[in-house]
Amino acid sequence: MEEVIIDAKRLVKRFPGVVALTDISFQIRKNTVHCLVGENGAGKSTFIKILTGVYQADEGEILLNGKVHKPKNIRESRKAGITAIYQELNVVDDLTVEQNLSLGKEKHRWGIVQRISDLGKVASILKDLDPRIKLNQKVATLSVAQKQVIEIAKAISSDANIIVMDEPTAAISEEEVRRLFEIIQGLKQQRVTVIYISHRLSEIFEIGDYVTVFRDGQMINTLAVEELNQNGRSQASVELVKMMLGKVLAEHYTPSDIDYQTKMLEAQNLTNNTLKKVSFDLHKGEILGFYGLVGSGKTETARVLYGLDPFEGKVIIKGKECRLGKVRDAIKAGITMIPEERRAEGIFGVLSIRENIPVMKMGNVLKNRVISRFKERNLALSYIQKLRVAARNEEQSVSFLSGGNQQKVVISKCLNSESKIFLMDEPTRGVDVGAKEEIHNIIRELSKEGCAIIVFSSELPEIVNLCDRIILMYEGEIRKVLKNHKDIDSEEIMHIITGGQWGAS
Amino acid sequence: MTKAALKGLIQRQEFVLFAILVVICTVFTIITPLFLSAYNIGNLLKAVSMIVIVACGGTLLMMTANFDLSTGGNLIFSNIIFAMTCLAGVPVVLALGITILCGCAIGAINGTLVTRFAVTPFIATLGTWFVFKGIAKAITDNNEIKAGLPKSFDFLGQAQLGPVPMPVVVLVVIVVVFLFLERKTLLGKYSMAIGGNPTAAYLSGIDGNKIIFLLYTITGGLAGLAGSIAASRIGSGNPRMGDGFEFDVIIAIILGGTPLSGGRGTILGTLIGALIVAVIGSGLNMLGMLSFWQLVLKGVILLFAILLNEKLGK
Amino acid sequence: MIEDPAVQSTQSIRLSRILDAQKATLIGVIIAVFIFFTIFAPNFLNPQNLMFVILKVSTIIIVATAATLLMITGNFDLSVGSVLAFTGIMHAFMAKHGIPSGLSIVFAIGWGMLVGYLNGLTVARLKITPVIATLATMYIARGFAFLVARWDGGANISAGLPQDFSSFGRTMIGPLPLLAIIMIVLVAVFIFIERKTVFGRFIFAMGSNPDAARVSGINVPGIITSLYIITGAFAGLCGAIQTSRIGMGSPQNFRGFEFDVLIALILGGTSLKGGEGSIIGMVLGALIVGVVGNGLNLMNVSPHYQLVFNGGILVIAVMIYQGLGKKFQ
Repeated sequence: MEEVIIDAKRLVKRFPGVVALTDISFQIRKNTVHCLVGENGAGKSTFIKILTGVYQADEGEILLNGKVHKPKNIRESRKAGITAIYQELNVVDDLTVEQNLSLGKEKHRWGIVQRISDLGKVASILKDLDPRIKLNQKVATLSVAQKQVIEIAKAISSDANIIVMDEPTAAISEEEVRRLFEIIQGLKQQRVTVIYISHRLSEIFEIGDYVTVFRDGQMINTLAVEELNQNGRSQASVELVKMMLGKVLAEHYTPSDIDYQTKMLEAQNLTNNTLKKVSFDLHKGEILGFYGLVGSGKTETARVLYGLDPFEGKVIIKGKECRLGKVRDAIKAGITMIPEERRAEGIFGVLSIRENIPVMKMGNVLKNRVISRFKERNLALSYIQKLRVAARNEEQSVSFLSGGNQQKVVISKCLNSESKIFLMDEPTRGVDVGAKEEIHNIIRELSKEGCAIIVFSSELPEIVNLCDRIILMYEGEIRKVLKNHKDIDSEEIMHIITGGQWGAS
Repeated sequence: MTKAALKGLIQRQEFVLFAILVVICTVFTIITPLFLSAYNIGNLLKAVSMIVIVACGGTLLMMTANFDLSTGGNLIFSNIIFAMTCLAGVPVVLALGITILCGCAIGAINGTLVTRFAVTPFIATLGTWFVFKGIAKAITDNNEIKAGLPKSFDFLGQAQLGPVPMPVVVLVVIVVVFLFLERKTLLGKYSMAIGGNPTAAYLSGIDGNKIIFLLYTITGGLAGLAGSIAASRIGSGNPRMGDGFEFDVIIAIILGGTPLSGGRGTILGTLIGALIVAVIGSGLNMLGMLSFWQLVLKGVILLFAILLNEKLGK
Repeated sequence: MIEDPAVQSTQSIRLSRILDAQKATLIGVIIAVFIFFTIFAPNFLNPQNLMFVILKVSTIIIVATAATLLMITGNFDLSVGSVLAFTGIMHAFMAKHGIPSGLSIVFAIGWGMLVGYLNGLTVARLKITPVIATLATMYIARGFAFLVARWDGGANISAGLPQDFSSFGRTMIGPLPLLAIIMIVLVAVFIFIERKTVFGRFIFAMGSNPDAARVSGINVPGIITSLYIITGAFAGLCGAIQTSRIGMGSPQNFRGFEFDVLIALILGGTSLKGGEGSIIGMVLGALIVGVVGNGLNLMNVSPHYQLVFNGGILVIAVMIYQGLGKKFQ
């Protein structure tokens, strides 16, 4: 058994309103590829941020080679030998490969740089990794995969013995993935430990030695991949997903009153870079769920229906074909969306709760075409009460609210639009349990009022407790549409969203 | 191999600009053969020299995604300081040194405001522009300083080194120095890194604030130099000149291929950009068009340059 | 830890909105400045001088009403000074060549709107940063101002103007000049727009978070373009009236005017980042700019020192507001 290089002991990290990590303890062994899996918000990236010094743990500690590792920032963590490579690549596009590799470490006299020949070690490392890359190429001309290689070379040459890779295969081709895996195998031989984060479970099985599963801020299990694979690859996937998602019961599901004669929305063959001929119908009173792992196409579908991203295909709303080129087209057609990223696209931080809520239908607070402070206040108070928003009063600036309460303000804003078709992208992400239930009740009420709602979520419990039909997505395609019922088989669901075929062995 | 290299060359902004410059010069020469006369070219280069001298520093600065609106005010101020120190009997060379130091001081103020106090460059350099332009005009009551200046005062601006006017000599020296800085030194490389990917620069251990401060100071010093040349050219310290200088500098930099967001840019491009603007102005003058068209044209060129930067950047 | 979900009592915030500490400070400054100049500046309270101040402040405020809303969305307009000069010249030019005064003023406003449309196009649709885009229009407008004057045959247009040319600009309504009346009306209208209209609300939303504004269905490019057009229209109006008042169209006029507007806005608490600001704040800021400028003139302080002063105030005001902003985070 390999030596332990990283020993996490009872790590705890809290943020206002939410506990990101609870009692995380596990070990990473030297010269292995150790994978971290878990849904968004499960705690993987928080752990990595503590490891790399972006955050400091509130409790617990990390031992690196037996010694306490408490970096105050990324630079300190790098000095200790830990380098992280993210999707936003840390290369300077307009400099050459050689310049990037030597950035910050140039041999110089009086600020004058020496020549290429002095690159030495790192140049030969790069050559081994990818001989096609020329030192005097501008980095801008390289592919994403090649830019990753540059970062890997830099990390190795600065004596990193732990390299973290966060979703490295997200933007590269299959062939480049293969090359990357070869490189990672090579890294192990060079005595580098790789921490590998990916939502593509097949990759875990291909190159992982160990895997740690995060869920809801906790460490569920750490296993050797071999152990998982005992009963065959497809069963291993399901086991993994079970750990990632936990026990799922559809106890709270009650069917909505659906008018199958009235189609509110018909999507036909929606296609773009991610989506592959997505087609479905939405009926009056229906709560439709889209479920799948990260990257399966849920958010992409939502954004396309709201006019945020371009696509090919047809969208028919209440019988009329609609052009959804921009957001205002969608709103005019009667669609409202609760965006996935509330801080970036949902709230007006500087403004108060009262000023945020009416924005999508100002008519509700006008009196003789003028904003009535009285009406605004009442509207805000009614939503604050209905959704139990925790705030001092309606004048509080939304940026000071906790994440869950901000989400409630965004939902209030969308409810106020009084549209009939709602797209909700991760509607209860970062929201506490009590508020989750409240929001779910509101969704059920909307369906009773004859609205049609599509819930895009990566939380299976939410989907099975709320939705009438569930559309399962995998890699941009609809794999199956299930009718929900109290005894729905979550194993089948897990199989399908990991790319498996249910019914096959 | 060479075909690819050639293709790479053609796609570079400097090449495009150079081609544009050649085309414009050719057109004007066809219309008025006098355009290519030594006299005209000499004038052209003298006028452009001050802009390019300052724009060299300004280019590196803009590569870090910062800019300097105060260079015009700095120019006027330096102009006056140079004249006043010479008037006070200080030897010209020493006076030049003092003026450049004053220019650096102004740049250092800009640098401090931007890096230490997090004031946005627009406000910080606008403020310094006001302050030093105002001081210059107030000290001289907006009058020229002419009487009593030593003969050596005129050297910098009016002497010739062989066939080449002194300001152009200085221009060449500065451009060569900055080409060297841009390509062979850490200053040039780090400037590009800071603007191109600030996170990557930070993670590589580069102190962005220090570099930005240094660049503001250097640009200020260059403005001091340019101001001295300007004074020397007309033989007096004149607080009424330099209107719009800072914008001429910025137009040259942007047209030369350095976007406001930084990360890219070349000294050579800035030089060619400045030449294009100057050539157009000179050519139109020779054609008898009112000089006011140049104002309009500068605005149009600025818009065109920005859009060009966006297109070529993709 | 989840906070108590019950909502606590809501206070009446109207008064605090109007008289918050920042505005109180500004009012205090104005009063202090006023007293100072009454004592130290000869003829400060002279009715003729006060009229002068009113006229200068009126022009700034009229243009700044629209500019305030524009800056709340995170954009601004450096071309206003040039537009004032340009439209002024156009007004004189047209009046000189036979177009009745009233009509040529309408045309002047039209010219202003055209420049505003160009600004809107470059900033909102071509996504060029406002500093550069309006800088470019500044050059273009100023250039045309000079050109029109030259085409008319001189450095400026002062001869050959119809008899009634100046009368419009010198109109008085009661004790106040026309510009002042327009200013008062516009300030009232824009306070209303800022607080009570959907348009005003959308402007604050856009300034606070342009992406969220788009996702909420707000027509961001359309609103920005309208604001630029309105700013241009007001610049056109002021340009025409001022030119009429002076009796001469000169392309040299209003240099640096855009910076007076900028300082008034910043002093008044409108942030360059957007999302914050007020018309009342701008009025107070403009009053400070106008009174201080006038007082210093009367005290024979060289206008050049005033430049120094302006520069210093600009930077200090921004630093103070930035510092305060951080304190209340």
